[in-house]
Formats: sequence, C-alpha cells, structure tokens
Amino acid sequence: MIRLEQISKSFGKIQALSKLSVTFPKSRITIIAGADGSGKSTILRIMLGLVKADSGKIFLKEDLIRNDFSKITGISGYMPERFSLYTDLTVEENLNFFADINNVPFQRKERLKNILLEKTGMIKFRNRKAGDLSGGMKQKLSLSTILLSSPEIVILDEPTTGVDPLSRIEFFRIIESLKNEGKTIIISTPYLDEAESGDFIIFLKNGKILKRGDINDLKDNVPFKLIRLIPENNIFDVMNDLKKRGDVHKNFFIKGKYLNFIGDPESSILKGIRGSEVSEEKPGLEDIYMYYERKGIFENSDGSI
Amino acid sequence: MNENIIEVRELKKKFGDFIAVNSINFGVRKGEILGFLGPNGAGKTTTIKMIMGLLSITSGDIIIDGINLAKSKEVKEKLGYMSQKFSLYPKLSAIENIEFFAGISGLGKKKIKSKIDELQDIVQKDLLDRSVDKLPPGIKQKVALYASLIPDPDILLLDEPTSGVDPEVRRNFWQEIYNIKKRGKTILVTTHNLDEVEYADRIVILHRGNIIVEGEPSELIREHGVDSVETLFKEAVRDYEGN
Repeated sequence: MIRLEQISKSFGKIQALSKLSVTFPKSRITIIAGADGSGKSTILRIMLGLVKADSGKIFLKEDLIRNDFSKITGISGYMPERFSLYTDLTVEENLNFFADINNVPFQRKERLKNILLEKTGMIKFRNRKAGDLSGGMKQKLSLSTILLSSPEIVILDEPTTGVDPLSRIEFFRIIESLKNEGKTIIISTPYLDEAESGDFIIFLKNGKILKRGDINDLKDNVPFKLIRLIPENNIFDVMNDLKKRGDVHKNFFIKGKYLNFIGDPESSILKGIRGSEVSEEKPGLEDIYMYYERKGIFENSDGSI
Repeated sequence: MNENIIEVRELKKKFGDFIAVNSINFGVRKGEILGFLGPNGAGKTTTIKMIMGLLSITSGDIIIDGINLAKSKEVKEKLGYMSQKFSLYPKLSAIENIEFFAGISGLGKKKIKSKIDELQDIVQKDLLDRSVDKLPPGIKQKVALYASLIPDPDILLLDEPTSGVDPEVRRNFWQEIYNIKKRGKTILVTTHNLDEVEYADRIVILHRGNIIVEGEPSELIREHGVDSVETLFKEAVRDYEGN
C-alpha cells in the first residue's frame, strides 16, 4: 500500500532515520516498535508529509509521491500521540465537527456516527463533554473522529499511552475489526506486549531497523534460547550484583518478577545465581527485541542481517 | 515494616454529584512500595492529590506519620511528588529546573550546587542545558524523579511515572525506585503497566472510587487462583461490573 525507499532524515546533528526502506501492506496491522527517540514518529510524519525527508522516495500503490502528499493524507486517518479533541464539545459534537471539516455528506455522517458510537461502545456517552471522558474513552473518540472520513490507511502514533489495560484490550479489538474491513493499519508503540496484536513488526533503534518480519514467523524462528529465573534474592539486588561483573549483565533483563537470560542454558553464570525456579521459555516479542537490541545487530538496507 | 506512615480513613471526594472517591480506607506501611492500580477514572490521581493536599477533601481523614493532614501544613514536607506530566517546567533546562526546585525547598547555594553536581552523574552533560521539552521522555523522567527527591521526603508519591516510556527505560526506573526504597523511603506509585506491579510489596486496586482488591501480589495471585496480577486486575474489574 505504502512503500518507503531509502528514507533518511536528520534534525541538526541527530540522524533520526538512516536509509530506511519499509513496506506497509494492505489489510494488515504493522507495528513500529522501538525505544523513545528511535524514529517511530518521524517515519509516520514523513509518510504524511508533515516532515520532509532529506532523501529517499515514498510510493503509494506503486505511484511515486513527489510533493503531493494529499494523495496519502486524502485516504489516511492520523491519530497523533496527543489526542486532538475539543474538550468543551460533547462526544457527538466532536464527531460532527470532524465530519464537517472532512466534508462528509449529512446522511453518510449520521450513518457513520451511529456505526462508530456502536462499535466503540460510546452510544450512552454521546452527550458527555470530551473533557469529562476517561482516558480510554478519549482514545476511542479520537479514533472515531479519524474514521469518519472512511480512510483506507489508519496511522496511530502511540495510541495507548496513559490508557488502562482493559481499554487497551478493547482498543485493539476495534483495530482488528478495521483490519478485517481491509484497512492498512500502522501503529507505533513503545509497548511490546500490545505489539503482539499486530501482523508485522519493525524493531527500530536510532533510526535503523534492528529486525523486521511477520510476528508469528519471528516468534517461531528465534536464534537464541530464553531462560527464565525467579531468584531467591530480590531481583534488583541480583541485577546490581551482575552489573559489578562486567558485561555479563547484558545477557539479562528484568521482566515483571522474572529475570530473563538470553544464552546457553548450561552457562556457568546461571549457576552463580541462586534461583528457586529456572525454566526455558518460548520468547515473546519483547525478548526478541532485547536480543537484537543488546547484541546491536542491525538489518542491512536490503533486509539481510 | 507494619507501621502505617500514611493512613487514609473514610476518604471521600465529590465533584458535584459525581463521587470520584467513595469513603475508602487503606494504609501505606513505612518503607514499602505500594502499587495503586485502577482503570482510567478510578480515582487514583484524585486520591494522590488529596494526600498531597493539592485537592480539598469532601470528608474523611488523611493521617501522615501520626499527624492529621487537615491540622498541620508542615506534615506535607514529608511528601515528594512526581506527577503524570513529570512536574517540570518545559522551557527551563534540567539544571534550571533543579535550581528552581532546590531554591523553593529552601536549600542554600552550596547545597544547590552539590545537587546539580549529583545530577551530572545521572544525566549526560550535553543534555543538561537543553530545555526540558526537548529531552527524551526517559531523561525527563529521571530529572523529574531527582527533583521530587530534592527536599529529601520520607514518602514519595509517583503518579504514572512510567506512562509512555519504553520497557528498557521502565526497567531502569524501577531499579532506581528499588534503590530509593532501600534508603528507607516509602513509595506510593500508580501505573497502568501491570508487569511492574510485581515490584510492589502490596497493591490496592481502585475502581469507580472504591477499593476492590488489596494485598500482597503473590498472596493475591495464590488466593484468586490466577497466573498474574494482570489477570487478577481484569477479573476484579469485570466482577465488579457484574460481567
């Protein structure tokens, strides 16, 4: 649907993106994951023409976009990190406003509004002011405002920041239904647990791709073993001790109550940690990200490692 | 460890007809990390703001280290606070923010200088002169946490300190929280990242202004026959809603 080819962008001395080539396919959820400052939002903004790339090409359905980004924005709905709602207007007034500025005809607007209020479970809140909504409801209303123009491409920049776990699950249920309607969904997120809801993932670091792929394929073909420990001592004390032993700690990371280790299950390092439980686990996306991130292994621009 | 440094008794907050906090009771034990959880709009921030004295109480009492908050303003000096928005002045640099917070905490010039020297040990030097709104969220978070510790409070209230920051930054932040706890501080922290709750000594789950779960994470997991606090949280909220 959208293809970026060899895109580079610098802000002063900071190289935000470096010769990045990615494709966002139709009817799929593509997740762009990475730490703060990895370049996630810059990709989205360049794609929408909000930031100009220093070099590289952007294609929409194989047509090269030169300066006319309205070809992309005209069929896209973009939800930035900070929701742009009018807090003094009600839910319905916000929907009316965003429909009107997108020139949605009256009958279509009324029909879409009811569908969206139904889909997001917000019918009973239609007369509540947006400023009085909870974080989860604001997020659903923001999503609804961008769906009023029936976009083919839905671009969401860190949509779940500050949103509670139950609302996040509901939000991704709605996103899944949009995918099934044939929309191209692109989501940036720092949370790798929710990235599991996607189809494809791009792990980004310092404007370069660490690894990308079909999420199920990545999880089925990991090049490492993940060992999970529950140490006897406090997990942070154990980590502090490991840090005193040189680079050893780089193979460990804390995840909830577990101390995860990437490497040989027979390693002598493990034997030095008093653990009440040690088990080998199937790695999740966060573990896979940590492997490439800690090893500092990047993809080449042609996709190879 | 069992002595309550904060006691919340029959605490209620109404905004018009809306009851944001519904006569809740709980304690925060000296030296513990208490995780304060709940969906958006549950009343967590409202409760924290009442403890901080930033929001008036409709009814009930807040006792801090044996002193009723309503009767003594001085008791607030025991509290440090870091809000969801990191409580920093965005147009000031990290150094200027620390100078400001140290200044209003009554620290002398020498002490302020030593606080800035300390900051240089934890934040890269070239970032210190940049205005805070241009700093990466992880660095902003570090500076805000450092600022909240300047008055050397006994109790630290952290309202969603890890919102919007990536897992590696969150891990480092929690390592720091644990180190602060080891220095004898008491920490009350709200979060939506339920994997972090495992680091709390006890948790309180708030929903629609009421406490629906309270206890130690591992005991609660065993008691409720669930695999994680995340599952416990989801089931408790659904049970409360009756579906």
